[in-house]
Amino acid sequence: MSLRVQYARPLNVDQTVALLGELSSGAVIIAGGQELMPFINYGRVSPSVLVDISGLKDLQNIETSDDGLSIGALTVHRDIQINPLINEIAPLLAHAALQIGGGRQVHNQGTIGGNIVAMHPLYDIIPALLVLDAEIEITSQQGSRIVSMADLINESNHKMGTHAVLTRVLIGNSPAGQGWGYEKLKITDGCYGSANAAATVCLAEDGQVQSVRLAIGAVTEKILNLSEDLATFLPASPDADLDSRIAGIVESAVEQPLSDQQGHGEYRRAMAGVVARKAFHQALDMARQDMALRERM
Amino acid sequence: MAEQPYIGRKEKAPDRVAFVSGRAHFSSDFAFEGQLHAHIIRSPHAAAKIRSVDLSGALKVSGVKIAIDGAGAAEHLDPIPHHIDPIVFGGRTTDLFCLAQDHTRYFGEPVAVVVATDKRTAQYAASRVVVDYEPTASVTDADLALKDDAPLVVLGWDDNSIMQVPFCGGDAEAAFKDADHIVKTQVRVHRQATQPIETRTYNAIWDEGGQSITLYASAQNPHPMRFALAKTLRMPENRLRVIAPSMGGAFGLKMHSHPEEALICLLAKLTKGAVKWTENREECLLIGGREQTHDIEFALREDGRILAIRDHFLANAGAPGATPGWGMAFLTGLTMPGPYDVGNLDVWANIVVTNKPPWSACRGFGKEITALALELCMDKAARELGLDPVEIRNRNFISSNDFPKKTATGLIYDSGDYAGALAKTVESIGYYDVKRNQEKWRGEGKYIGVGLGYEVTPEGGALPGTMVAGYDTSTVKVDPGGSVTILTGVTDPGGGNRIGIAQIVADELGVAIEAIRVLQGDTQTCPYGFGNYSGRSLIVGGGSAALAAQDIKEKIVKVAAALMEVEEGSIKIYRGVVTSSAKPESELSFNEVCYAAYTRAYDVAACIEQPLEATRTFKPGLISHLPDEQGKINPYPSYSNAAYAAVCEIDPGTGVVKLLKFAVTHDCGKAINPVLVEGQACGAVAFGIGGMMGEEIVFDEGGRQKTRNFEDYVMPRAADVPEIVMKHHDSPNPVTFMGLKGAGEAGVGGSAAAVVNAVNDALAHLGVEINDLPVTAPRIWSAIQKAQSAQKAAES
Repeated sequence: MSLRVQYARPLNVDQTVALLGELSSGAVIIAGGQELMPFINYGRVSPSVLVDISGLKDLQNIETSDDGLSIGALTVHRDIQINPLINEIAPLLAHAALQIGGGRQVHNQGTIGGNIVAMHPLYDIIPALLVLDAEIEITSQQGSRIVSMADLINESNHKMGTHAVLTRVLIGNSPAGQGWGYEKLKITDGCYGSANAAATVCLAEDGQVQSVRLAIGAVTEKILNLSEDLATFLPASPDADLDSRIAGIVESAVEQPLSDQQGHGEYRRAMAGVVARKAFHQALDMARQDMALRERM
Repeated sequence: MAEQPYIGRKEKAPDRVAFVSGRAHFSSDFAFEGQLHAHIIRSPHAAAKIRSVDLSGALKVSGVKIAIDGAGAAEHLDPIPHHIDPIVFGGRTTDLFCLAQDHTRYFGEPVAVVVATDKRTAQYAASRVVVDYEPTASVTDADLALKDDAPLVVLGWDDNSIMQVPFCGGDAEAAFKDADHIVKTQVRVHRQATQPIETRTYNAIWDEGGQSITLYASAQNPHPMRFALAKTLRMPENRLRVIAPSMGGAFGLKMHSHPEEALICLLAKLTKGAVKWTENREECLLIGGREQTHDIEFALREDGRILAIRDHFLANAGAPGATPGWGMAFLTGLTMPGPYDVGNLDVWANIVVTNKPPWSACRGFGKEITALALELCMDKAARELGLDPVEIRNRNFISSNDFPKKTATGLIYDSGDYAGALAKTVESIGYYDVKRNQEKWRGEGKYIGVGLGYEVTPEGGALPGTMVAGYDTSTVKVDPGGSVTILTGVTDPGGGNRIGIAQIVADELGVAIEAIRVLQGDTQTCPYGFGNYSGRSLIVGGGSAALAAQDIKEKIVKVAAALMEVEEGSIKIYRGVVTSSAKPESELSFNEVCYAAYTRAYDVAACIEQPLEATRTFKPGLISHLPDEQGKINPYPSYSNAAYAAVCEIDPGTGVVKLLKFAVTHDCGKAINPVLVEGQACGAVAFGIGGMMGEEIVFDEGGRQKTRNFEDYVMPRAADVPEIVMKHHDSPNPVTFMGLKGAGEAGVGGSAAAVVNAVNDALAHLGVEINDLPVTAPRIWSAIQKAQSAQKAAES
C-alpha cells in the first residue's frame, strides 16, 4: 500500500501510452472510476500513480464507417444507451447497457472500456459484445492492435498488460434480418444478475434457424461464449427440440457455477438455461418479424 | 380542549429539504481545528488468542498521533456498561471492553486503533500494525453452540447460553392433550442488519480548559450515552457533552454502548484534540440481529380456536455486546401471543452466544419476530384445518371489548380493534378477488398468492433498573418576542418527529407553527431525556411538551386577562391572536402579551412567576414494575398494532417473486401528523419486504462474515416495493396524551409475515411451504424443484 498517490493527466493517447511505458505496475488507469474508486476507498488496491484518461477527447467519440461502428473506450453507458448510431447498428449493445445496475449516476460515469477491462462476470457489456462479434483496439507504445472479444476473454489480464490502454470497441454491421435478445435475471431490482444471456439469430429463407450466437454471463467466473458450440447442430428447425438442445449445451457448459448471494450453483446453472432460452426466443421472434416485414414489402 | 388547527394535519417540517438534500449537518459533517481521524483494526478471525500486538510500524508513519491496543486502552477505560445487563433479568454477564485483549470472540472485533492527521494516513498506518493471532475453535451456529463439546464463546461460562427464560401461563400441557389438532412448524429467521443511509460517526473534542469532552455522535440516546461514557472513561457526567445532530436513520443501530463510542472519546483526551471515526459500510454490516429458530406449535380445537401455543426458540445473539441487542429475544417471548386471545402459553427463549459479531437493536426489537413466528404458523394452521386465513384469525383475536387485556406473559394491552383493522386491510388488498381467481390464474400458469400478517407492537417501553425509561421530559420556553422554543429529551432518528411535537405545542399555546422551534439531542441544553426508541417520541416527547405548554398557557392567559381587564375564562388564543368573549371588540397579539409578561412583572404580570418557561415530564400509565402474584410485570404503556397484506406473483421457472400490491391498516391511537405515521409505516413495509426478499448476512465455515457490502446485502429498491394502500384504524390509548400509541417501530414483522404467507399461498397447490427464511428466488426455486421431484417419485 502506498500512502501518497501521484496523479497524471496525459493529453492524448500517445502521451498516455508513453507514460504507461515508463511507469511501474503500480500505475493504474482511471477513466470513470466506477470500478477503481470503491477498491481504493476500501483499501483493496493502492495505486502509486493514477493515470487519468477521462479527458482524452479522441476516445469519447462514436463513429461509423462501411465496416460498422467504432466506439471510443471512454463512451459512457448513458451515451451507449441513447446514441442513435449504436441504436441503429448495434441495438443489442444499447439494450444491454440499459440493464447495467447502479442507476443514472453510474450510467453517466462508467465507461465501456472500463466495463470491459474489469472482466467482471456479472457485468452486462461483454456478453453483448461477444454475440456481436466485436473487436477491441488496444494501444501501446508499440502501436495499436485489434483483438476479438472472443479471444480477449480467454486471456488472463485481458491481453493488455499494464502498459497498454483499451482505445476503441469495433462492431461490424449485422447481417440483414438478424434478430437479437438480451435477458437478465435479477432476484430483486437492486441485485446483480443471477444469470444473463445475449443472443442473435439469423433465419434462412425457409424459416430454419441458420445461425445462433449466444453468450452467458453471471453464471461462471468466465463469461461463456457458446456460439461455436451451437453451430454444430445448425441449421435446425426452431422447435422444442432446438430449445432443449440449447438449454442442454448451456447447462453442460456451466462447469463450475458461481455460488453467492445472487444464487447457489445449482440455481445458477439452471438459470443459465432459462435466460439462454428467453434471449434466444426474443432474437428468434425479432428475426421472424423482420422476415415477415420483408415478405410483405 | 383548545382548538386544534395543526394536530392531524399533514404539516411539513421546515428543514425537510436541507435534510434530504444532505445540507443539514450530520455528525460526520463537523470538523474542528486540527481534526484527527481514527482507523480501527479489527479481528480477521471468529475466535483467536491475541499473542501480541506490535504498533511500532504504525507509530513510525509520519502524521500518526497515537496507536493503542486493548492493553493500552484498558489502562484508561473501564468496561462498557451494558445498555441492558442480562444479569438484571437473571442471565449471564461478562465485562466488555472497547478493544479486545488476549483473545478475540468475533470477526470484526476491534483490536487496535490508529489516529492520524487524515483518514488515509490512519488507514495506511493501520496496515502496518502487526497482530499475532492464534486462531482457536469457533462456533457460529446456535444449535452447535449448545452441544456439550462446543467451544466456549465466553471463557469462564459453563455453557454458551446467556439465559433460558420461560414466558408461560395457564396450562399448555393440558390444552395440548385435549386438542383436536396440533399444528407445528419450524420458523427459521435469518440474520439481518439495519442499514441507515448514515452510518455511525463519533467525533470527540477535548477541552483542556474545562477538562471535558464534547462528542458529536449519531446517537439515539444522548443522555444515557453520556452516563455510559462517564463510567467507561472514569469521568463525571458533567464533564461530558453529547450532541446528536441531524441523523440519517437509526433503526436501533444508534442506541449506545458500542465499543467505538468511549474509545474515540479516550483518543481525543489522550491527543488533547478532536478525533473522528466514521463507520464504513462493511463495519456497519457487522452489526446484526433477528437470527432466531422457532419450533412453534398450536393446539387447536376443531373450529380453529387456538387453545395453547408452545414455542421453544433459540436466538443466535452472536458474541456478547454491551448494546441492547440480546434483549430482543427476550421481547420476542414477552410479546407472545401477539393479538391472539390464548391464555395457555408454553414459550421458552434460549438466548445463545456464538462467535458471530454481537447483535444490536434492530427495529421491531424482537417483537417483529413474534409476529413472524405466529403468523407463519397461523397460515399453516389455516391450510391444515382447511380454514380461510382471515377466518382463523378472527376466531382467535382478542375482542375489542376485552381491553385492557392482561396477557399470559403479564403485558397489559391498552386498546385495539384487531378484527376491524384486518377487515379494512382485507378490503384494501382485494383479498377475496385474489382467492376467487387463484385457481383460474394457476390454470394459466400464473402463480399468484395473497398473504396476511398481524403485528402487535408494544411501544414506549420501560425496563426497570436500565436506561430504557418509560417517561420523558420537555422544556417549553416563550420569549418576550413571542417565539417558542421546545427543548426535549427525545431525539429524532431522521423521521421528523420534531414537526409532530411542534404541532402539539402550537395547538396547546394557540400560536402559528412558524413561531416554534424544536431543539433535540444536546445533553447541555435539553432536559435529561432518554432519546428515541420503542416508538416513544411523540407519546412522551409530545406528551411532556404539551404539559409544559399548558403550564405556560395558564400564565399567558392570566397576563392577557389582566391586560384586557376580563375574566381568565373568557380568554381565547388562536393562531397568535388573543381575544376575549367578554370584550369582542378588542384583541391582542400573542406577542404583545408575552412582552407584557416579561416587562410588566410588577403590575399586570405580577400575577405570574416569570419567565415563560416550563419543564414537565410525561409518565404514561399502565406501566407496572411491581411484579404480580406470578412475578410478571408490564413494561409498556401502549400497544400499537396493524394488519398487513401482500399479493405476489411467482415465476415458477426462476422463483422470482414480484409483489403486486400491499395494504396496511394501522392503529397508532391518534395520528398527530399522518405524513409521519405513513412515512414510518411505509418504511417498515420496505424493511419487512427487504428482510424477506434480499437481505441476509452469511458467514463462511471459519466464522468470517461473507456479506460485506451492498452487492451481497441487497436492500429493496423502489421497484421492489409495490403500491401500498394505507388506512388508519385508531383506537385511542386511554393512558397517553391524546391517545397516542406510537408509530415509529411497528410493522417490520407484520409485513414480513404477509410477504412469506403470500409466497406460500402462491405455491400451496404445489405442496411448497417455506418457513426457512428468507424467501429469495433461489430458495423458492429449490423448493419447487424438490416438490416436483417428490411428486414425480410419488407418481412413478
